[in-house]
Amino acid sequence: MVKRRQIGKLLIANRGEIALRIIRSAKTLGIRTVAVFSEADAKSLHVAAADEAICIGPPEASKSYLNSEVIIAAARTTGADAIHPGYGFLSERPEFARAVAEAGLVFVGPPAEVMAALGDKLAGRRIAREAGVPMVPGAESASPADIRAFAAREGYPILIKASAGGGGRGMRIVGNDSELEVALEAGSREAKAAFGDGRVFVEKYLARPRHVEVQILGDAHGNLIALGERDCSIQRRYQKIIEESPAPGLSDSTRARMLDAALALGRAVGYLSAGTVEFLVDGDKFYFLEVNTRLQVEHPVTELRFGCDLVAEQLRIASGERVSEVGAPVGAAIECRINAEDAANNFRPAAGTVLHLATPAGPGVRFDSHLEAGLEVGSHYDSLLGKLITFGASREQARRRMVVALGEFALLGVMNTAGFLRDIVASEPFARADLSTHFLEEFFPRWHPAQSDGIEAAMVAAAMVASGAFGTRNGRPAAPAAAAGPATTARRSPWDELSGFELWRPR
Amino acid sequence: MKLRRVGDGGEFEVDILATEGSTVHARVDGIDFSVSFERIGDNAAIVTVNGRRYRVFGAALRDRILVTAGPMGFEFARVEEGRSQSAKGLATPELCAPMPGKVLRILVKEGDEVEAGAGLLVLEAMKMETTLYAETPARVNRVLVEEGQMVDHGAVMIELSPAHAPSHSESGPPG
Repeated sequence: MVKRRQIGKLLIANRGEIALRIIRSAKTLGIRTVAVFSEADAKSLHVAAADEAICIGPPEASKSYLNSEVIIAAARTTGADAIHPGYGFLSERPEFARAVAEAGLVFVGPPAEVMAALGDKLAGRRIAREAGVPMVPGAESASPADIRAFAAREGYPILIKASAGGGGRGMRIVGNDSELEVALEAGSREAKAAFGDGRVFVEKYLARPRHVEVQILGDAHGNLIALGERDCSIQRRYQKIIEESPAPGLSDSTRARMLDAALALGRAVGYLSAGTVEFLVDGDKFYFLEVNTRLQVEHPVTELRFGCDLVAEQLRIASGERVSEVGAPVGAAIECRINAEDAANNFRPAAGTVLHLATPAGPGVRFDSHLEAGLEVGSHYDSLLGKLITFGASREQARRRMVVALGEFALLGVMNTAGFLRDIVASEPFARADLSTHFLEEFFPRWHPAQSDGIEAAMVAAAMVASGAFGTRNGRPAAPAAAAGPATTARRSPWDELSGFELWRPR
Repeated sequence: MKLRRVGDGGEFEVDILATEGSTVHARVDGIDFSVSFERIGDNAAIVTVNGRRYRVFGAALRDRILVTAGPMGFEFARVEEGRSQSAKGLATPELCAPMPGKVLRILVKEGDEVEAGAGLLVLEAMKMETTLYAETPARVNRVLVEEGQMVDHGAVMIELSPAHAPSHSESGPPG
């Protein structure tokens, strides 16, 4: 029998947009919410949105959002009976899931053992292989003869990788037989120098792979469903920045086989809650990458197509309920991650105070964000400011809505990637869905705002500011932050934000 | 006045020549043009350039001028003529922390001559490593921080002076 445990009060062990996102779903289910916050986040929107809030330590993540003991103690103090970890921070740490369960609380996510098994790279690959999930073809042997046989079977190019490796060191792309021996030697030498271990192995090289992942959802009653796929190929340094569903151009048969593979893997481990099985896709072939045992940042694109609430599903599953019935997916959805980075300057991290904010709206537009006027964006946590998601009957409608929505976005005070994202989404390669994980290197290698993007308008406005004719109030610097000292750690009432906002209302 | 785009070091000369009602006559790098500049608040305006309308926000913040035009954000610094003269075209005589963070690696030592674009220092902030580069050829005068040190936004980390050799492009690496 499945144990049912009604969740009455939920502690959200996270911050930023995802904490706010989880609070919203909990409220719709009638669950009371407890926010936790570091001293740097005292004024953050998730703190004001929750029914209760508790400070868990100084700004450093290691002393606050990663401090499992303090978080579990906060749950006890506030009488919460469940903890949702969000993504990042403690969300994929089996020892945290275990500690939560041992404290008699419900962990909203898969059991610690499932998380541990899938979190270990090698163990995860073994489970996937045994479940019949395709792996990138490879040869364990490093003898030139064996590798030649492998290459004859799979075709060049092939990739030499260090067994102990990571970070690209010891990696060599080999295009044909004649290059092989020299590359093997060099790769082994480099691996030896970098890792003290010269062992190498060989994989088929995927020249222009796509990153496609499958959303799965399992309950304690043995139900496991796959909620379509997401294409997350547009990445920068392995960080996804644009995600969409469905994956454009994926054939129905390939899609069906991917969903089946993800379900087989989920069934093999008795997967519970929301999870994502990631694949590399090369034409109509796909290969296992890894499993993320948590809610993904990009989960809203799935929600818009299926008309579901994945956080609510997680909460239902955690309290012993069955997953909801979901219909067939409709339309297309795209998500853009707006980050606090200066896209024109090598994506340098940006910080500052939100002086003015304009957020998009309209049909099929959703903005998941903790941004508001007065928010101080610092350097303690990741750079995600918000996720803009658009939905349309077709990919092209969703894409056009995204171009328009990004055009409505304006954030003064923190340099961000919105303009860069609009250029990408408006571009011809994106419109024709020429997607691969090399998309940005291929089409946007050194991005700068184009002349048409308002540089003249900005220059004139800057000169007006510099001459005191604009951007100031009664001759004083206009920015409230200019007068503010170091970030205050005292918790302020939400009404303080309103008075700060007043300053920015046009007269 | 001369403004510099923060980060890439690109400089341009912009002057407001005259303002007639909502029309602003400006000169940017020697080219005159007129824009319609309708203020809709202390910090907000609709700026029309060549028939295109932009919703613009602007503010002065410490030594920086922040402007958005649509979704595009821009950060400018005013270049003081005197200082730029003495620094002989050096975009920034000091390498300051663009945000609070930890000094991970220092890539140069005092006395080094570096080319434009050479990495000077690696800063860790927001869980990301950011390499800060020389904007112009320069000589490293002083290194004021140590690896592992936490720095505040704006902290001077490295002092630079113009590169010594009259021509740095034709000689080999510094001896």
